[in-house]
Amino acid sequence: MDVRFDGVSVRRSGREVLHGATVQFAPGRVTALLGPNGAGKTTMLRLIAGLERATAGQVLIGDTPVRAGTTSPHVAYAFQSAVFLAGSLANNLELALRFRSVPPAERATRVREAAAATGIAELLGRDARRLSGGEAQRANLARALAMRAPVTLLDEPLSGLDAPGRRQLLHELPALLRAFGTTAIVVTHDRDEALRLADALVVLLDGKVRAQGPRAEVFGSPPNAATARFLGYTLLPGEGGELIGVAPRALRPGPGEVELEMQVDDVLDLGVRAEAWGTVRGVPVSVSLRAGERAEGAIVVSAARAAVTRFRE
Amino acid sequence: MHRLRPYTWLLGILAVLALIPALAACGGDDDDGGGDETTTSTIAATTTGTATAASATTAAPSPTPAKIGGSMILATTTSTQDSGLLDVLVPMFKEQTGIDVKVIAVGTGAALEMGAKGDADAVLVHAPASEKKYVDAGDLVGGKLVMHNDYVLVGPTSDPAKAKDAKDLKSALTAIAATGPFISRGDDSGTHKKELETWQAAGIALTDVKSREESGQGMGATLNIADQKSGYTLTDRGTYLSLKKNLKLEVVFQGEKSLLNIYSVYVVSPEKHTAVKKAQAEAFVAFMVAPDTQKLIGEFKKAEYGESLFIPDAGKTIEQLGN
Amino acid sequence: MDAIWEGLREAIRLIASGDAQLREIALRTVLVSGGATLLAMAVGVPLGYGLARTRFPGRTLILGAVNTGMGVPPVVVGLVVWLMLVRSGPFGPMELIYTKRAMVIAQFVIATPLVVGFTAAAIQALPREFPDLLTVLRAGPLTRFWLTVREAQLGIMVAVMAGFGAVVSEVGASMTVGGNINGQTRVITTAIVTETARGETAGAMALGIILLAITFAVTLLLTALQQRRAR
Repeated sequence: MDVRFDGVSVRRSGREVLHGATVQFAPGRVTALLGPNGAGKTTMLRLIAGLERATAGQVLIGDTPVRAGTTSPHVAYAFQSAVFLAGSLANNLELALRFRSVPPAERATRVREAAAATGIAELLGRDARRLSGGEAQRANLARALAMRAPVTLLDEPLSGLDAPGRRQLLHELPALLRAFGTTAIVVTHDRDEALRLADALVVLLDGKVRAQGPRAEVFGSPPNAATARFLGYTLLPGEGGELIGVAPRALRPGPGEVELEMQVDDVLDLGVRAEAWGTVRGVPVSVSLRAGERAEGAIVVSAARAAVTRFRE
Repeated sequence: MHRLRPYTWLLGILAVLALIPALAACGGDDDDGGGDETTTSTIAATTTGTATAASATTAAPSPTPAKIGGSMILATTTSTQDSGLLDVLVPMFKEQTGIDVKVIAVGTGAALEMGAKGDADAVLVHAPASEKKYVDAGDLVGGKLVMHNDYVLVGPTSDPAKAKDAKDLKSALTAIAATGPFISRGDDSGTHKKELETWQAAGIALTDVKSREESGQGMGATLNIADQKSGYTLTDRGTYLSLKKNLKLEVVFQGEKSLLNIYSVYVVSPEKHTAVKKAQAEAFVAFMVAPDTQKLIGEFKKAEYGESLFIPDAGKTIEQLGN
Repeated sequence: MDAIWEGLREAIRLIASGDAQLREIALRTVLVSGGATLLAMAVGVPLGYGLARTRFPGRTLILGAVNTGMGVPPVVVGLVVWLMLVRSGPFGPMELIYTKRAMVIAQFVIATPLVVGFTAAAIQALPREFPDLLTVLRAGPLTRFWLTVREAQLGIMVAVMAGFGAVVSEVGASMTVGGNINGQTRVITTAIVTETARGETAGAMALGIILLAITFAVTLLLTALQQRRAR
């Protein structure tokens, strides 16, 4: 199902937390809502769920504007912190379905399915409020998935998990979401997590949507320097106030498509390779040298043309 | 799957509380909202059954009120209630007339004021001078002299003031004023007013009474305080006798005419206060002066204390008393 | 000291012999205070919920009033209710004064702010996300209320205990509006006053012990429930 933001602003106690956001979330795909803490990501999810009131513009699910105070029946939402009601985990998962008028026979099936998918099937009889952090996080996800809503909102679904759990879910979650065929919007502040989970990216910086589109498009050619910087690009001053963005890990020593001059300050011998530290046009950079390769003073470094984007700010 | 039992404890509390009225019904606790239709009709229904018994007990001269039913408010003083007399008379009245009497025990001033505002139906008090004002104002009508007891001066057995040797009230008071302590009610009650009158009549200023304290409480409590402080106080004989066994206080002076404590009962004017239950209040006044009631008053606790708490006075006038 | 021992002995004798009047007074006390607490719950819990869960102008004012209400001396409540219900007062014609109903009304007025205040506090102590969770689950208004109350039940039981404890041990208001009428509106606390005034310290002690037993039993019952829930 289609989710659209149409010039949506949210002003909270005098501060604009969301500034005229116009976004189209791809139906049936996983979109990562990426940005640093405090950028307004959770606010956007809350707007979709009707938990927040827009001061301007409107949010549409399908063709229906969201009404503040009511969550659309088409929306499932897993908060960042897993909150449960008193009772067993099964009861908690089932309750959400009951309020959405799912027939009793189907509730049990869905609860089992969602629990199995998130690996918590054996926890269903446990008191929902006595689960460990990782278990609760999975249960939180299961509750949202059990709803099988056309729109699923996940706020930092991998936070609170230990490293193995996180790795496993990072691997399983995209397939899971695609299998449910829902329009998924996943909030994260982690670039790698966003890239691995999502088909599409929406980059939110300081309350403004700075980029949106398919993953490769946004990551490959960020529309502005701010997005590029957040995605890990190195920004170098070019001619006439122009900025040259070099994709992460794209810079290599030696000649190539786009050549730049690097002032080497230090070389660190790491045995298998060496790391050269210095500046390009006054901006700190580092490049890897092959074992035995030497670098001193000014050297030539280069990147593929595809890895370089030019910005006029 | 369906093990969600959200409100079990709430239901539990509701169930427990729902049981209460049932229990109360078993306990025969049937007073509430006296005077409403249900109560009245219940009594009316039982009238025929008990009428014969009632007329048998109250046979003869006094006009026996028929079963009237309903309820009424009797404003009286704490000392009257503390004597326990009404605990005997009220059930007897209910038996005869079917009327529930709600006895409200307050200070004399408050009891008379309740009458003046129409907040009570009948008033039983013992402060003739104050009563007169309300009678003159037309708030209290149909007054009848019911009984009297008397005030006595009590003090510690050791009697440091030697009040027992005094030949009259004035010299007894003078002696007590000199030694103290004296515990006053200080609550604007009939007894308190009587105490103030007594000092004034003896020509002693309150400030000249050594260690005079005001308890601000009822007679029973005041006697307890006097007992604890080995002090003197002015009390009605009834309250003193009923508490005597717990006190180390003795009567140090008694018998003077000015110490009489005269009880009268009044109907609150139904003309001035339309809410007043005229029939019930008039029945109560009639009951209080009926011969059987008067006999009972004279015998009240006589066996226990060896003397009468109250002397029945129906039909007499105030002037005839104490001579 | 002798008086205390004698009082205790007499108290135990009276209680053991199942003295009819004592039983009647105890039963009436539970009836009146229990009824008032039940009413205070019926009104106070929804009010507390509303106060905790809605934002409106004047909310702080009302919360302040509730918290003040928690500290109003019962005698003052009794006086005001008396002035309302007494025959010359605005509700005089209803003939409620000096009845158990009048006592229930006064005790209700005393207990309600306590229930409202404790309930609001208990609900506000729930996780911050809780109301949002109920919205996202699409719980209806009534379900929201019940689920919230269920989540805050430990705190609400404290509210009930506080309310019952306050009214059952209260004497001023019961005395004023009930009139302490023998066989009709005499409850344990007012009976203690009367018995003490009459010098019947043993009877007063017996009543005091029963009052303690009632409050203890109710608190114990609720505490046991609470602990089972909290397990």
